[in-house]
Amino acid sequence: MTFENNPPIFSTDEELIKSLQQNNAHKRRAEEELFNRYAYFIKDGMNRYSLPEEEAFDAYSDTILQTIDNINRNLFEKRSSLKTYLYRIFNNKCVDLIRKKTTNKNSIHQTSSISDMLLMIADSAKTVIQQLIEKTDLDILKNKMKELGENCRNLLAMFADGYNDKEIAALMEYKTADVVKTSRLRCLDKLRQLYNNKKD
Amino acid sequence: MDNMEYIDDFFKGLPTDEQKQQFEQRIINDISFAEEVAFYVSATGAIKEQLTQEKKMQFRRIYKEQQKVIPITKQPVKKIVRYLAAASLVATVLLSTWLLSGDKTTPAQLANQYIQQNFQTLNVTMSGRQDSLQSGLILFNSGNLKDALVRFENIIKKDPANYLANKYAGIISLRLEYYDKALEYFTVMEADTTLFSNHGKFYKAVTLLKRNENGDKESAKMLLIEVKEHEMEGSKKAAEWLKVLNK
Repeated sequence: MTFENNPPIFSTDEELIKSLQQNNAHKRRAEEELFNRYAYFIKDGMNRYSLPEEEAFDAYSDTILQTIDNINRNLFEKRSSLKTYLYRIFNNKCVDLIRKKTTNKNSIHQTSSISDMLLMIADSAKTVIQQLIEKTDLDILKNKMKELGENCRNLLAMFADGYNDKEIAALMEYKTADVVKTSRLRCLDKLRQLYNNKKD
Repeated sequence: MDNMEYIDDFFKGLPTDEQKQQFEQRIINDISFAEEVAFYVSATGAIKEQLTQEKKMQFRRIYKEQQKVIPITKQPVKKIVRYLAAASLVATVLLSTWLLSGDKTTPAQLANQYIQQNFQTLNVTMSGRQDSLQSGLILFNSGNLKDALVRFENIIKKDPANYLANKYAGIISLRLEYYDKALEYFTVMEADTTLFSNHGKFYKAVTLLKRNENGDKESAKMLLIEVKEHEMEGSKKAAEWLKVLNK
């Protein structure tokens, strides 16, 4: 293993996009590079829309996270430069903030990941699941996550970040993708037990 | 567990129409299965949301660090003309101030800039071998600084002179502003004379500049002079900084 302190240079959009799509040790750095590259939008949001710095920062960080998500799901079609694409999303988010349409900014990603999964199910079954999800106490669930061990938390977080079992096995100390899958599902099962015990 | 695997396979894969129908029928006819599906979907959403929050926190840290080093100055093109007159006035005032009082770059600013550029994420080039150093680096790069530090400190307990573990533990301690710890780790790192390349002395200077307590600037300067004169790792930066610090 070698170790470098100097970050890799993503000089073009293409290089940056490629790094964001690859689930390896460079991914997090590419995300931070994307954040850094256009961080001056925050100031722009403050000037153009008279937003407080905190709200402009939220709009910008949500923009970055949405863009990363879109790139990973191949929704960024490269019809414009990355900067133009980001700026459009950022402006929309600033306008949403002003119009008070965004009532809970932090729930954007959760909503999209849940609704994405439910898209796979027909309406009759979807309604059953939606009703059950509404009964779930997300605060308790999040608190219970803290009681999981460090390995479990990392495993579940990497999976949620889009890494597949094979990629997780390559990055963490697991022999095979099957071992990762078994461990991951055990962690999820443990979380369910913790959640159910607390509820009872 | 069996149901969990079935549910996991369903959402990860590309189920056929027949598999979809079977899955949906089980949801409708078997309430305990439906509860497991709902839990899987809720938990996945909650984990993703938590991850999103962690990433936002990391962005916030980066943004705050940037603000300390270089306040954002880029303006939208349309507003440039409006600010041009004011900017030239400010520039004149700043230039006069600089000419009268010299460069005001503080030791902590130099250190902050270096930390921002070099210690935000640490790059791992993978080999086939998986070890604790590597998992510590993964934790560091995912923003879990405290967990990463514990990982490297465990390695140091077993192998106190481990150069890389001391180096990473020092860097993380510096990021967490545990300056005394950072200095200890970099001292161990510096003591390793078997290596051709050793940043230990230079990193100690960075730590002292960042801490910037009484006498730290002078101690850092002495270290930087040594680094420069003996052409150690960081000598170019040391020469650059000495010019600034001697103003």
